[in-house]
Amino acid sequence: MISFRYKDKGTAIHKLNPFCKLGWVTSIFVLALIFDNPVYVALLFLATLPLVITARVWREWASVMKFAFYLCLSIIIINAFVSSHGSHLLWQAPFRIPVLGAPVLTVEAVLFGVGMSLRLLTIISAFAILTFTIHPDDLMLAMIKLKLPYKSVLVTSLTTRFIPTLIDDVERISDVQRSRGLELDRGKLFQRIKSRMAIIIPLLSNSLDRTVQIAEAMESRAFGHGEKRTFYREVKLSKVDVGILIVSFLPLALGILMLWLGQGGYQYYPTLEKISLGGLEYFMLALLAFSLGMMTPLASAKKRIDLD
Amino acid sequence: MIKIQNFTFYYGGAEKPALKNINLEIADGEFVLVTGPSAGGKSSLCRCINGLIPHFYGGKVTGSVEVQGLNTLQHSPKELATRVGMIFQDPENQLVTQDVEREIAFGLENLAFPRDLIARRIEESLDTLGISALRHRPLHELSGGEKQKIAIASVLALHPEILILDEPTSELDPKSAEEVLSIAQRLNDELGITVILIEHRLDRVIQHTDRLIVLDGGEIVVDGSTRQVLQENYQEISGAGVGMPPIIKLAHQLEIMGITDNKTPLTVKEGRVMLQEVFQKIAGELPQQEKKGINRPAIEVGKLWHVYPDGPAALKNVSLAIGEGEFVAIMGRNASGKTTLVKHFNGLLKPTKGSVVIHGTDTGRATIAELARQVGFVFQNPNDHLFADTVEEEIGFALKNLGLENGEVRSRIDEVLGRFRLDKYRRQYPRALSGGEKQRVALASVLAVQPRILILDEPTRGMEYRLKSELMAFLRDYAGQGNTVILVTHDVETVAEYADRVLLLGEGKVVVDGNKRDVLSRALLFSPQINRLVQAFARYGVPNDILTVDEVLHLLK
Repeated sequence: MISFRYKDKGTAIHKLNPFCKLGWVTSIFVLALIFDNPVYVALLFLATLPLVITARVWREWASVMKFAFYLCLSIIIINAFVSSHGSHLLWQAPFRIPVLGAPVLTVEAVLFGVGMSLRLLTIISAFAILTFTIHPDDLMLAMIKLKLPYKSVLVTSLTTRFIPTLIDDVERISDVQRSRGLELDRGKLFQRIKSRMAIIIPLLSNSLDRTVQIAEAMESRAFGHGEKRTFYREVKLSKVDVGILIVSFLPLALGILMLWLGQGGYQYYPTLEKISLGGLEYFMLALLAFSLGMMTPLASAKKRIDLD
Repeated sequence: MIKIQNFTFYYGGAEKPALKNINLEIADGEFVLVTGPSAGGKSSLCRCINGLIPHFYGGKVTGSVEVQGLNTLQHSPKELATRVGMIFQDPENQLVTQDVEREIAFGLENLAFPRDLIARRIEESLDTLGISALRHRPLHELSGGEKQKIAIASVLALHPEILILDEPTSELDPKSAEEVLSIAQRLNDELGITVILIEHRLDRVIQHTDRLIVLDGGEIVVDGSTRQVLQENYQEISGAGVGMPPIIKLAHQLEIMGITDNKTPLTVKEGRVMLQEVFQKIAGELPQQEKKGINRPAIEVGKLWHVYPDGPAALKNVSLAIGEGEFVAIMGRNASGKTTLVKHFNGLLKPTKGSVVIHGTDTGRATIAELARQVGFVFQNPNDHLFADTVEEEIGFALKNLGLENGEVRSRIDEVLGRFRLDKYRRQYPRALSGGEKQRVALASVLAVQPRILILDEPTRGMEYRLKSELMAFLRDYAGQGNTVILVTHDVETVAEYADRVLLLGEGKVVVDGNKRDVLSRALLFSPQINRLVQAFARYGVPNDILTVDEVLHLLK
């Protein structure tokens, strides 16, 4: 089983200041939303790969992407059948559905789904890097520094801490119920839902008990003692970190400039727009690729500086 | 100092008080052992000392609790945190962060201590407990015992004057349990911290304690210096359902028989001194336990290997046979493969290589549900079992899964309800019952199927003495009817008293397999207390495979 937990592998990416990673992922995230042109989005997706490889989290990443891939597949299929825009007909259903009319399948609708999926994959890939390379407690500290309320951040962090415990609970309880002759995949839908209750009820009530116990333990260790609270660890920004942080926002600035120049747009409907890039566009794309690609060498350089 | 005066507490909505008219003074530096049956008020007592009662658990309070001069009615647990440290049962549920240093820092951070002081306290606590090696390990990779030590360190960092441990070992294996208890003892001895320990297994700690308090029905029934109350209040203590350590039981019996005057030995060493004279005079022959040959095999395991995906081999070439009517204990360290082995017996796990045959059926060719007709499996925590709306439905669940007809289901439900004294709870919500009752419902729901093989995975862990002896007597009886009983356990004393055969696993292999007498006697640490006691007297002709109090008494008659 691949664990979806943070593990300190000590790579340059792991060592990189969380704010820099947050900044970079924010850039990717925003750009993936503002660019419609699939070429631009593809570039963003490719830009996440060097970090995944450098951080040596590709196995974890792959299992997340596998899940994301199935999600995308369903998006493509549903979109293709529901959307009736587009002018190139692939197939038309021989029957009619009241109100909606006869379902049609168009080239444009299929490719629109593909484009959207690419966007989603890019965003998921970027966030996967965050999850696998930032210690959850550091992420919590970073969030607090960004002025999010401590209690909400703590609750979120506690929740992530207990996900693996919850998975263990599910396994244990389903062992118990299967030993009592429960067959999860037999019978009609209603029967199946009902048999799931044999697992869900113990799971939920055990979790409730757990919550009370944690609350007790926290209270006994002076949780909520006063307004003030120290944070033993700090996420500090050194001068080098600030430099990298600025670089991490560079792609975002570039992207906004490109959008202002009228680049990165794309129309799927009613007919697919032809992708033709001019000299300036190639130049800007290369610049964007360069600014995105800076992150990995900068992280490695930073690690070396820290070692010296 | 802790001063409790005329304290009575009702949990919100409860009709009976959880604590009734408690008067208690605990001096600084005392090591107090609090014991008694479950729901006797032990946990409530501890929770009123650090203010969780009444600040966390609301209810009706009369009387007062003062801790180092602070009245807990006015001072909440947060304020008392630097005076009273509290360790809970389940290490998993008291850790808040995901790494060791931050966990220890948590309380100090809440109190807004400066960073350099926090750093010093972390260092100190790690060193005091001798766990600095753990400091960079992620918390989720630590074992239960290690987690419990981190929990102690994180409380210790607050420099409490009083440390309360609420059954800190009930989720741990014996070795970790011993380590945690010896930490408590050392903190008391060397740092002068007042320790209040809740435990129901007396044999591990009794020699360290200054004072013994027994709570039953929310009232203090016995309170006094350990040695003294064990001598003078033996009846009251065991009457409250507290399990006496075998050595003390033996001493008490010998006193009744007029063989020794009760010196109340607390350690094996003291026990030896007590028996020295006795055995010098008398020597006899213990009647030989008749050895049963293997009956028809119920379980046959042949060259079994099991490898978890992405893990090392958990079982390596295990071959064995267990006969009908046998009562087998499977023992071994954590991760030695005990649970993996028994999960093969009902098909929860399938062999990676080799075979497991249950009453002639190869588990590879049967579903878990099919095997469930023959093999019943009772897991440790009844809370994982129970989900139905009524006790009746809970028990009927497995029967319906197996497709029995309604009339048969009803008659079997009636039969087990009667046998487990659950009649009056028939229509109640099983999860709302007390711990012991829940355990009985879970067991009844498995036994209603009338399995010919019954497997129990650590059923006695954290279980109070009275329930434990009831359960064991029942299992003994069940095996006597020709059924096979398999017990996965760490509890040597229980095995010595009830099992026939012991299988010791280590590193996924069977290390020893044989009659309990051969396996448990003369083993260095695996021996029960009484065996360790009598081994010294082999030179007087005392058989050195004696395991229980009754056998010693039999010998001396």
